[in-house]
Amino acid sequence: MVKRYAYYLSCINESMTKEVDRSIDLWQKDLGIELVKLHESTCCGGSNLDYVSPKHFALVNARNIALAEKLGLDLVVSCNTCLMTMRTAKQKLDESPELRQEINDLLKKEGLEYKGTSEVRHILWVLVDDVGLDAIREKVKVPLKDYRIAPFYGCHILRPSKVLGRDNPLEPTSLDQLIEALGGKTIPYEHKNRCCGFHTLLVAEEESLNVAAEALEEAIQLKADFIVTPCPLCHTVLDGYQAKALKQASIKSSIPVFHISEMVGLALGYSAKDLGIKRHIVS
Amino acid sequence: MKPFDIVIVGGGGAGLYAAMEAMKTNPALNIAVLSKVYPNRSHTSAAQGGANAALANKAKDDTVEMHIFDTIKGSDYLADQDAVEVLCSEAPKIIRELENMGTPWSRLPDNTIAQRPFGGAGRPRCCYCADKTGHTILQTLYEQCLKKGVIFFNEYFALNLSVHGSRSRGLVAMNMKTGKVEAFPARTVIFATGGYAKMYWNRSSNAAGNTGDGQAIAFRAGIPLKDMEFVQFHPTGLRKSGLLVTEGARGEGGYLINKDGERFMSRYAPEKMELGPRDLVSRSLETEILQGRGFDSPAGKYIHLDLTHLGADLIKSRLPQIREMTMNFEGVDPIEEPIPVRPTAHYSMGGIDTDNFGRTVIDGVYAAGECACVSVHGANRLGGNSLLDILVFGRIAGHTAAEEAGRFQPGAIPEEEVNAQLEEIRGGMHASGHYERYGALREELGQTLALNVGIYREANQIRQGIKDVAELRERFKKVRVFDSSDVFNTNLLQVLELKNMLDLAGTVAAGALARQESRGSHTRTDFPTRDDEKWHKHTLATLVDGTITLGEKPVTMGRHELQERTY
Amino acid sequence: MTVSTDHHKEAKRDVTFRVFRFNPQVDSKPYFDDYTIPVERGITVLRALNYIKEHVDASVSFRAFCQAGICGSCGMRVNNISMLACTTQVWEVLEKSREPGIIKVEPLRNLPLIKDLIVDMDPLVGKMTHYSNWVDSTMPEEEMGKKEFLVSEEEFLKYDKATDCILCASCVSECSILRANKEYVSPAVLLKSYRMNVDSRDGSHDLRLAELVKDHGVWDCTHCYRCQETCVKSIPIMDAIHGIREDAIEKRGVKDTSGAKHAEAFMDDIAKKGKLVEATLPFRTNGVFWTIQNLLPMAVKMIMKRRTPPPPPMVKPSKGIKVFRAMFREMSEHVKRDHQSHNK
Repeated sequence: MVKRYAYYLSCINESMTKEVDRSIDLWQKDLGIELVKLHESTCCGGSNLDYVSPKHFALVNARNIALAEKLGLDLVVSCNTCLMTMRTAKQKLDESPELRQEINDLLKKEGLEYKGTSEVRHILWVLVDDVGLDAIREKVKVPLKDYRIAPFYGCHILRPSKVLGRDNPLEPTSLDQLIEALGGKTIPYEHKNRCCGFHTLLVAEEESLNVAAEALEEAIQLKADFIVTPCPLCHTVLDGYQAKALKQASIKSSIPVFHISEMVGLALGYSAKDLGIKRHIVS
Repeated sequence: MKPFDIVIVGGGGAGLYAAMEAMKTNPALNIAVLSKVYPNRSHTSAAQGGANAALANKAKDDTVEMHIFDTIKGSDYLADQDAVEVLCSEAPKIIRELENMGTPWSRLPDNTIAQRPFGGAGRPRCCYCADKTGHTILQTLYEQCLKKGVIFFNEYFALNLSVHGSRSRGLVAMNMKTGKVEAFPARTVIFATGGYAKMYWNRSSNAAGNTGDGQAIAFRAGIPLKDMEFVQFHPTGLRKSGLLVTEGARGEGGYLINKDGERFMSRYAPEKMELGPRDLVSRSLETEILQGRGFDSPAGKYIHLDLTHLGADLIKSRLPQIREMTMNFEGVDPIEEPIPVRPTAHYSMGGIDTDNFGRTVIDGVYAAGECACVSVHGANRLGGNSLLDILVFGRIAGHTAAEEAGRFQPGAIPEEEVNAQLEEIRGGMHASGHYERYGALREELGQTLALNVGIYREANQIRQGIKDVAELRERFKKVRVFDSSDVFNTNLLQVLELKNMLDLAGTVAAGALARQESRGSHTRTDFPTRDDEKWHKHTLATLVDGTITLGEKPVTMGRHELQERTY
Repeated sequence: MTVSTDHHKEAKRDVTFRVFRFNPQVDSKPYFDDYTIPVERGITVLRALNYIKEHVDASVSFRAFCQAGICGSCGMRVNNISMLACTTQVWEVLEKSREPGIIKVEPLRNLPLIKDLIVDMDPLVGKMTHYSNWVDSTMPEEEMGKKEFLVSEEEFLKYDKATDCILCASCVSECSILRANKEYVSPAVLLKSYRMNVDSRDGSHDLRLAELVKDHGVWDCTHCYRCQETCVKSIPIMDAIHGIREDAIEKRGVKDTSGAKHAEAFMDDIAKKGKLVEATLPFRTNGVFWTIQNLLPMAVKMIMKRRTPPPPPMVKPSKGIKVFRAMFREMSEHVKRDHQSHNK
């Protein structure tokens, strides 16, 4: 039976990393899931709106989640920061009846109500926990068996753990499991749970790129074939800014970086072209 | 080095308050604080319960006079009453001063500083910040010292007081980061190095560094130590590690239960029950254990401190650190099950003999806090009075030194003295042939003290303790330092600390043997009652030609006549 | 009542401690020494290290003081994660060791190494001083001690948890940005700064905040949450950092620094389109000059790969944006109202 989910359109996947949604579109049916895109949803506020205006932050995300609740579906995202942001908002809303009341009064205008019935989950969790590793294994056409893969989880799928809670924030396993299910070899990668530096890229670029360079350097040293990440923001730094970061750290080498959606697509037999992998900066 | 006006040894509550007050008193003075740890690491941070002050925030009828009486009675009438008066009447002012500087006290519904009941106190007058009172006070003082620009020499180990005739020339200390021995010529020196209860080693709740460094240095310089035989055992140390479960746990309503399920305190303090004074509660636990009503385990016999009836909410909100600690160190969640406890040495009433202004017998040398003995605690300290003591007398010592520094000429420490220290500490590093391990000696010292000069004492046992200590001192000469590096030689430091403990252990035992009575924390099974006629006096231990010589000093009385101490 | 586990015979396991060694007097670079010792259940990493020092190798150097989790001396990295050795159970760590039977012990990161497991804490103290990490009381010194400030439970709770900090520097060691730049303020110092700033007894709020929004300050945090996740006292450090940012935007305005401008851009875009206009984000954060200088070379490559974000007119607003805008505006009225009643 096909499992249905509401799907949140992350700003970055609508603009810079279009390949994410494109590749998910290719294989969702293969894995027995159907993602219903929420075209009415708005930007989650990144990890910024909550301190610019906590109430607006709660409003936009209550609305995003309420759109999914209206369909009676869980809300699935494929960006770590959107995940963390919306789960944070959800936690605040669920804890405060007053806030819920205030926001629902506004949401009425659009015929929406935040009830707290829909979960906010990452596509990685859906793959590992709902579709299941065995089911994925069965569908693999081109096992990634010759590849040494460095799993880069990123921060906001892990921490704060009181909001995320799926993986151990310092010793995560879900992405490693997915890699193994696709036939790849996951390597012990110390930076797996570290930061990519994205969120300070425009404020403190040098520092951010040093952070990114360390993660890239380890993967290169470990002779990984590629890095894979569940987060398009991490991807933007590790791929888009890779040349600059490595140059800053005087490292003469490079390493491809894939989205998990592309990695799944490759294993299920889709071509790099169809998956949009050519869009990457580092090939 | 340019001579200092004041060198303060120790960066805990007493040392930091002294530094701050000295700067306030005379901002032109050149003041340094030396500490073997970063000041914010000091053992003040471990005082969980609180500090007493008759603010009358909680009990509106509380008075300074009642606090004075409780303290004197608690001391088993050995405290000097004029000193106690200073302590208690300064208390409200100093607590408010700390509040004004930013200490995050817990609050009552009327937004004033919160107070709770504590052992031996007639009113709830213990001011607290959850169960991290000492920690927050220490942080506040450190922050304020940084604000004032106090000069810190962090991670310096004090070695020797340079004495010339009747006055001091300053201090010799080792820079732990470089291993260099340096002279700190100074007009005045304040010792604020904390207590010496760690000599009981595994049966002590103290930090590893509470080795009586200041007292040992002062003692070797000929300054008398007062009432050294009085060592307080806290009733509720964790069975395995000796770490303390604060009295706050009983203040909030915890029960002490023996293996027959009895709240046995009804036998010893029917009215106050678990909130009786520490010495009495400790003896009660020890008696229960000695009479076979303790629980049994490979780590020794113990009693239950039961908080389970208080409920998860109260434990989480009022005693969070206790819960965390019992879970980390004992593997016990107090919400689910009782905490295994037994008495553990945790506070030393004795110390460097000072007057009410912190002065010692040597001109320009002062002492304050647990390191000193004014005496405000006499034979037994009340819970909540130790933080108060370090604050009040730390401030007084800082003020006195600042006022008096001008009277003394700046000292000049001869280079030979510095070199002699260096040679002495290097001696152990090159020993060959048969050698002793400092770790073994340290443990044996703790064992013999706990066994022979512990909660219950008796002449023959104490003599055995004295003999053991003498033997350990002999063996110490063969201790070898294996780490040969100059940089942060913790091996050497621990050996130096052991030397200090060995030097002081003899004074504790000598006082215990001499004092043929039972008073406060000092319980002689061969002299089970208080003997005011012969022993209502302080003992003074002085080093004369390498031998401990015992003297005495009268107790200053005041309004409160001697009474039997019952609760 | 749970049955006590005391009565069984205590089992022991052989555990290898792989200890980071470095003595600047003789070593040109660090190395590891292995010490294998028997360890029973209930023993902490610190007790194990003490055992090694007393019985195996007296030269192993580390700091330890209270051994009770309150002084903060024994911060170190155990199997790659910063923690207090004295509150860490050997058997628990062992279960999660990557190499069976081996526990790796290393010094904290991001502070200068002195010897073995000992790092220099002076830089941290220096930053505490730089950012005025003290209450600068509004009460004149000569008035102190006479009467209490009245502090509500509500206010006390704002800084209560932050005052748990024991300056063990675990967060410093784990911080992503500090690894990249040692000048960065540090999580512990941000936490302390926040604690001072919400204290009504303090009079230096604006001064402290002005320093915090400068370079290497609060806006450099990259929200990786490692500090919070590894805090030995479980202090929500990120809440404090967010608290400072919220405060900075409220008190100093949104045009104050690039960090504030960056954050504000999100608000603007959502209000207008419901979507982020990424193409102009660099301009709005750092200005035109910075953007051309820093991002142009990369932009060329991105254009070739059709990776550039669409220009503002091309960003399609979310569906139903009109109703959304109305709600958003109305919320702005709520916020205004909240501020007014708060200021009363």
